[in-house]
Amino acid sequence: MRPVGFSTTPNLVLRLPMWRSRLMLFMLFFVFMLLLLRAFWIQGPGNAFYEAKGVRGTQRELELPASRGKILDRNGQVIATSLEAKSIIAYNDTVPDDLSADKIHKLATLLQMSDAELRKKLQEERKQVFLKRQVDPDVAQQIKQLEIPGIGLNNEYRRFYPEGEAMAHVVGFTNVEDRGQEGMELSREKELAGHAGQRRVVVDRLGRVVEEVGIDQLPQNGKDLQLSIDSKIQYIAYNAVKNSVEQHHAKAGGAVVLDTQTGEILALANYPSYNPNDRRYLTGEQLRNRVLTDMFEPGSTIKPFTVSTALEKGAITPSTTLPIGASYLVGTKPITDTHPNSSLTVAQIIQKSSNIGAAKIAMNYLSPEEMWDMYTAVGFGQAPKIGFPGAVAGTLHPYKKWVPSDQARIAFGYGISASLFQVARAYTIFARNGELVPLTIERSPDFKPGTRVISAKTAEEMRAMLETVTQPGGTAVKAQADGYRVGGKTGTAHKLVGKGYGNKYLGYFAGIAPISAPRISVAVMIDEPTGGSYYGGDVAAPVFSTIVSETLRTLNVLPDAPIKQAAVDSSEDAEPHTVTHKATQVVAKK
Amino acid sequence: MNRATLTLLSLLLVCALSLVAAQQHARRLFGALERAQIEERRLNQDWLRLEYEQRNLSKSARIRDVARNQLNMSPISPERTLYLKESK
Repeated sequence: MRPVGFSTTPNLVLRLPMWRSRLMLFMLFFVFMLLLLRAFWIQGPGNAFYEAKGVRGTQRELELPASRGKILDRNGQVIATSLEAKSIIAYNDTVPDDLSADKIHKLATLLQMSDAELRKKLQEERKQVFLKRQVDPDVAQQIKQLEIPGIGLNNEYRRFYPEGEAMAHVVGFTNVEDRGQEGMELSREKELAGHAGQRRVVVDRLGRVVEEVGIDQLPQNGKDLQLSIDSKIQYIAYNAVKNSVEQHHAKAGGAVVLDTQTGEILALANYPSYNPNDRRYLTGEQLRNRVLTDMFEPGSTIKPFTVSTALEKGAITPSTTLPIGASYLVGTKPITDTHPNSSLTVAQIIQKSSNIGAAKIAMNYLSPEEMWDMYTAVGFGQAPKIGFPGAVAGTLHPYKKWVPSDQARIAFGYGISASLFQVARAYTIFARNGELVPLTIERSPDFKPGTRVISAKTAEEMRAMLETVTQPGGTAVKAQADGYRVGGKTGTAHKLVGKGYGNKYLGYFAGIAPISAPRISVAVMIDEPTGGSYYGGDVAAPVFSTIVSETLRTLNVLPDAPIKQAAVDSSEDAEPHTVTHKATQVVAKK
Repeated sequence: MNRATLTLLSLLLVCALSLVAAQQHARRLFGALERAQIEERRLNQDWLRLEYEQRNLSKSARIRDVARNQLNMSPISPERTLYLKESK
């Protein structure tokens, strides 16, 4: 018998099955394989996700701000500019609920709101609340110094308009998002708007930028826009209109000044106006750019075009005499004149603004088609293409629809409508020896060729007639300008109220100056004058006079009217007097 | 072999150190550039602000007001103007 060791008793021998160790080995191997695969995944195909995560920790995307373009007048003076401002944002999760009353009061004072108002804003449910936008940088700095957690500053731009009321309708304004809402700001939004860029940077633990990774998008500043408007002339026009509207207790007024040589719009004034820097109490009335968007019956201001058509045809001459009489019946309603005459020459019809005369010229010598062609050629019935929002076309019905009474009334400006701007433009044909100039609101100081509408001879005859309107015996003696010969035509229109003519009037005056070598075309309207006279010759002509004399002086145009010189002390050795008494010496360019 | 390794190692070390130095230099320059750009922006804004203020002070409405009321001046009128013709 073999000795059997205690420890080797066969009963204690554990016979483990082979598969168990194999399984163990396999499982270990499998787990390692999983780890390897995972490692491979992280390093290889799945890497992008982790890389992005890493980048997010150290990289930031920053905005590269771009500013909106400036708007300049023809002399390069700023009329709209963007300055940096801050918006104050509250991140309501972060703002502590137990903020001290003192701090709230300080913040509220800086934001110009009441404590209660501020508290309400801070308790809003939204995560982010704009406490105030477009805050002055100095105020923003003070707010930053209060060091209230959860109150942040954002960069913004704010638009400023140094010319204020005088230029409001031309320039328009932008909203808080810096987008154009009115005027040139709206119509030239594409060019003016800046496009912010974006860049990626590496930041350190404290959030400081340490490296630039790349620029995703370059910022694009908006383009500056230079207008044809002259801020001095604009101010002259605005002031003249404003004074007249106040003096005549009128509802509104407007004026346009055009450079007949270059086709540039020098001024475009409206009253009532508004301050584009502070638009809190803005009404629709103030916003209206009446010169371009209001249609009215041009009344007598259209007579020169009726007469031109007949002159051009050779049917009449300025000295042709026509019987006038007290009234003239075409259709059912008789046409009358304010001051009846038994007979008038063509020149006198213009000078005295005879409705009967204009109607007779149309009925006796012209066909509806000829008249329609003329009015269309000078721009009536078509919206002026100057890129202004809301410029109206007016109405000029097709001549085939005219009945005789239409033709007679259209001849003196009823049954047709136009904007003041269209009237001012039409008058350039008299200034430019018969050519209609294309207009522009952007600066382009070169002489522009126009489209011929009437012959130079007719234009010259018309100028002579238009000048007589402002001379003794004419309807607009008050249009005479200091130092310059002027010519033009008054207009007084009954305003259409509902379906008929009410008791409201529009007085206007359109003309050109100086007559010897016309440089500007000016049209003025005064809407609903109530203080006494409502005739264009009384309410609008004085405005025309002021605008013409001051504008031509501003443009350094040599006076062409005989000037009565005041006593001038021109001796060299005389003591210099104060500016008010000494003659100002001006070198005028011819 | 040993010698070559040592040379290469020291070269590697020099390269590595110069890389660190260059990076440091680049960051410092970048910081300066960044500050200069912020300054440029600030000055640009200042210029715009001053241009606006100048315009605000020189607008027609204010000049007319100051000339009339503070300096007792009156507008030019042709009667008191001497026109000199330019010789051709």
